[in-house]
Amino acid sequence: MNISRKWLNRHVDLDDKSAQEILLDLTMSTAEVEGVVAFGKDIQDVVVGQVLKREKHPDADKLSVCQVAVSGEEPQQIVCGAPNVRDGLKVAVIRPGSRLPDGTKIKKSKIRGAESLGMICSESELGLSDSHDGILELDESLSVGTSVVDALDLRDDIWEVDNKSINHRPDLWGHRGIARELAAVYERPLKPLDLFSGFPEAGETRPVVIDDLEACPRYIGLVLQGVEVKPSPQWLQRLLGAVGQRAIDLCVDLTNFVQLDLGQPMHAFDLGEIDAKGIGVRFARKGETMITLDEIERKLSTEDLLITSGDRPVALAGIMGGMNSMVRGATTSLFLESASFKASTIRRTSTRLGLRTDSSARFEKAQDPGNAETAVRHFVSLLREECPSVVAAGPMVDPSGWSFPGRKVPLRRDRLDRILGTEVSSDRVRGYFEALEFGVEENADGFVLDVPSFRATKDIAIEEDLIEEVGRMIRYDNIPERPLVQAISVPPKELELTVARTAVQLCAHELGAHEVYNYSFVPDALVDAVGAADQPYVRVTNPVAPEITRMRRHVLPSVLAAVAPNLRQEVEVRMFEDGRGVLSEHRDEHGLPAELRELAIVFARRDDAAGPSPYAQLRTGVEQLGRRLGYPLELHSLLASPEPWCHPGKTVGCHRGEEVVGYVGHLHPRVARALELPLSTAIASLELRALLRTEPAAAKYARLSEFPTQAVDVALLVPRAIQVQTIATFLRDAGRKLVQDVRLFEVYTGDGLDDGQKSLNFTVTLGSHDRTLTAKDEEKYLSTVRRRCEEVGATLRG
Amino acid sequence: MRLPLDERRDEWLRQIAAAGDREQLRSFENEVLGKDGALTTRLREIPKLPVEERPQAGKAINQLKVELEAAVRGRIEELAELELEKALAAPDFDPTAPGCDIASTSTATARVDIPLDPPVGTLHPITIVRDELVQLFTSMGFSWQDGPEIESEWFNFEALNIPGDHPARDSQDTFWLDDGNLLRTHTSPVQIRTMKRFPPPLKVIVPGRCFRQEAVDASHEHTFYQMEGLVVDEDVSVANLIHTMKTCLRHVLRREVEVRLRPGFFPFVEPGFELDVNCPFCSGKGCSVCKHSGWIEILPCGMVHPRVLEAGGIDPERFTGFAFGMGLQRVVMLRYGIDDIRLFTGGDLGFLRQFEEALR
Repeated sequence: MNISRKWLNRHVDLDDKSAQEILLDLTMSTAEVEGVVAFGKDIQDVVVGQVLKREKHPDADKLSVCQVAVSGEEPQQIVCGAPNVRDGLKVAVIRPGSRLPDGTKIKKSKIRGAESLGMICSESELGLSDSHDGILELDESLSVGTSVVDALDLRDDIWEVDNKSINHRPDLWGHRGIARELAAVYERPLKPLDLFSGFPEAGETRPVVIDDLEACPRYIGLVLQGVEVKPSPQWLQRLLGAVGQRAIDLCVDLTNFVQLDLGQPMHAFDLGEIDAKGIGVRFARKGETMITLDEIERKLSTEDLLITSGDRPVALAGIMGGMNSMVRGATTSLFLESASFKASTIRRTSTRLGLRTDSSARFEKAQDPGNAETAVRHFVSLLREECPSVVAAGPMVDPSGWSFPGRKVPLRRDRLDRILGTEVSSDRVRGYFEALEFGVEENADGFVLDVPSFRATKDIAIEEDLIEEVGRMIRYDNIPERPLVQAISVPPKELELTVARTAVQLCAHELGAHEVYNYSFVPDALVDAVGAADQPYVRVTNPVAPEITRMRRHVLPSVLAAVAPNLRQEVEVRMFEDGRGVLSEHRDEHGLPAELRELAIVFARRDDAAGPSPYAQLRTGVEQLGRRLGYPLELHSLLASPEPWCHPGKTVGCHRGEEVVGYVGHLHPRVARALELPLSTAIASLELRALLRTEPAAAKYARLSEFPTQAVDVALLVPRAIQVQTIATFLRDAGRKLVQDVRLFEVYTGDGLDDGQKSLNFTVTLGSHDRTLTAKDEEKYLSTVRRRCEEVGATLRG
Repeated sequence: MRLPLDERRDEWLRQIAAAGDREQLRSFENEVLGKDGALTTRLREIPKLPVEERPQAGKAINQLKVELEAAVRGRIEELAELELEKALAAPDFDPTAPGCDIASTSTATARVDIPLDPPVGTLHPITIVRDELVQLFTSMGFSWQDGPEIESEWFNFEALNIPGDHPARDSQDTFWLDDGNLLRTHTSPVQIRTMKRFPPPLKVIVPGRCFRQEAVDASHEHTFYQMEGLVVDEDVSVANLIHTMKTCLRHVLRREVEVRLRPGFFPFVEPGFELDVNCPFCSGKGCSVCKHSGWIEILPCGMVHPRVLEAGGIDPERFTGFAFGMGLQRVVMLRYGIDDIRLFTGGDLGFLRQFEEALR
């Protein structure tokens, strides 16, 4: 919202305060001011000139060649195209080298052969109005050579207040509200408003019937007669122009003025268009339509509030008037509306119709019904000043009988000091509240504040709201900072968060993978590609795109989708994400779906690049991860119920005892094909919440052996179908207590072996706590292995 | 001598059916259907036939062409299915076999004499900044908390003093779900969850993912990351808020900072503030970054609204508190000079691998 200094000066004297001072003080105490513009600065080079002699241009019918006195020097010759240029006229002249507000640079030029040393300006060229009716005619008393800006007193400061920062303050949507704040900040008086009070007790009125007092708590109607349709006086046009409002005619301009002054939208109807049965305020009926002032036919819903004449809609309440009740040229009698509507009713209609106006913006903030009456009185007073023939033909019709019930809110001294963390003297507290037009009583506990009606609609309700008033008036930056004092305590620790953080760091730094963030929504195409379309999903009802309604159940598919495009540039990609999945079939006590926390990892290498199997690498990585997190994983069997994107025969479950907490394996070949990923792509997933439900490993101390250990290499030839674990267990059992460790170091297939066979090469560590082993022990162990290895289908090699 | 078309047809179909891989099919296509293929040649010879035979011959050849092409496509499908079946069979897969060294990488480009670096991973830049903040705040005795990303209206709005007709509850700002719940629009519901779980005194931070229904462009995202802070105790004041925020921002921004509080409105705090820091680019003199004010708006904060404390089961007469919220993406973007918010999501490796940075 734009605020003008000249306008503010009608309410409070601010001449001694600079534009920057006011900007800062408003920002610190009331609302954010986004900037200030010096109005008139862009035309300060324009001076008053006088046309000494006007002659017709010899070669152009519509042009005049004028000799213009501009200052002490010789008269300047200027070519002018306006019909109203004449001898003796005082005009606004811009000279070569200066610029118009639109940026046009004025140059010395020749127009149809006649030299022209500048330009005589119209109002629109100076940015003062839209008027193109010839050049601006200045008062003849103005002296030649003075700046037009000063001569016409155009200089102003325009502050731009951030609308978002006054959403909760309906009183700040007009100049008077801002002026009241500044009066309080600068501790100076707010000037009284001119309010008309000479309404006759009887006379011409129109009855007003309000159907729903909640939707329309107050509606004031007034009949005015003797209205002249004429342009507004200069002062009014200038003020409106300065804040960016176009001048139309006196009546319309004054309703706009009151709206920008007091924040109260008003509407003037042509009395001739108002039915003798009067005005109704009711909700629209199903299927009803009306044409608004912008000439658009609006289909109405039963939630839209209407102003009707008789039963015929004449305005969309609080938003926009109707075409049919526009004030026309000949009107001399007006019906003036000043009402108050429920904020959410106006907002709902305005949002649904996509129709936002200055009026709806104000009603959405919950305007004070008390302000409706102030506005009528101020409007009539202003109108009579400019148009003395105007009379109030009858009393104000105000059927709801609204009156402010008053609101008293206590403010306790100790509470104020405790929350602000500083002390403010009672005198200052009282002073601030009085300046803000609160009633102040003092008592033993502190104060009781009588809230003015314009702060009571949605702003001030509880003690904390009052503390805010004091805080912003003393200015928060005057409160000395003070460190928190607390007893030492151990903050509650969330294992899930710290374990997840460690896991993420391990994935990046130990597994060499890149962390990626994906959306929580999954597109239908991805769900189809991973074969998970028939799973139950929680869906967004207002999605960003129609094909992205599903909330992801699992994180892994998103990571797959992120890997695929990167493989066009890269030979090898390792990526992971720590994210949430949503399982719609499980609910908590609040009806919220269960969320899982999944660490999803993908290792992919292009099929045409050689290297170790991504699966074998990722498997090592996942095992490492489990150990480093303190939850070592057991990987010994195929995943019992694989997700649709898992290779059913090549995905290993990550177990902790009976619990399955994740998996590592190959991507399902069908999914690989659909996402254009290599067949060898490896995937892993850990559900951190499931993992944390299991018991973490605790380190155990065992007495160190005084005796050296002995490493024995054992190579066993087995059919390919035999599992490593079987042989490892056999090797452990074969040595009973002597075997301390069994470790596979190679699986060999190929040259020298049958197709169906593999060689498993282990290092077995033998040792004892009570003696040094000898060569005999090793021999004995190997012979046991040789003798019994047939039991597991193996043959000892070498 | 040329065989009649019919005989060649059978032969060709047999060839297609016998093709063992894509390569064989491709050479078949070249030989028969390609530019100089047997069938194409036939087509080209039609003008040499007597006029009355031409239409029939043309039709026959074209029909055959269509048939053969379909057969090739069918065979491609069959082969793909066979390949799939082959890939799905896993007779020798040993779930107990250990993996291999994780550091070794693709040998495709490796020169024998220079060992390849093991792959180096990276943390997401938001993670880097979040973890730094978490470390900072936990070192000051704050507890790190989080809550669900799917929330009920009660936790997300009602309990935070955002009434039913508040504009924030309009569908254009909130993602609504088909089960009546919503995607949390801020991390503030965790204030309530934490208050319900732990008795005061409380010092909590909540970094987390939030959602608002917004069109995505270089500076807007529907998915964003916030860090909430909450302190509740007896006698927590605005003076404490100022001191805490100053201390934190000094560490986060790695410089001496001036802060100023000015009025700001948020339903869950009262009084509410916008907190500004002095502009680092012009040291307060005014520049284009700070819109010539010398200050940069960095976070909203305020004293916890008594109704919010009540919703969390805390007596607002006895306890007071303050809360603040910080946009993590904004901090990350300021820190690294990232100018497009969309880069954070999706996983362009060119972007991600630039953040090889140790945590401090």
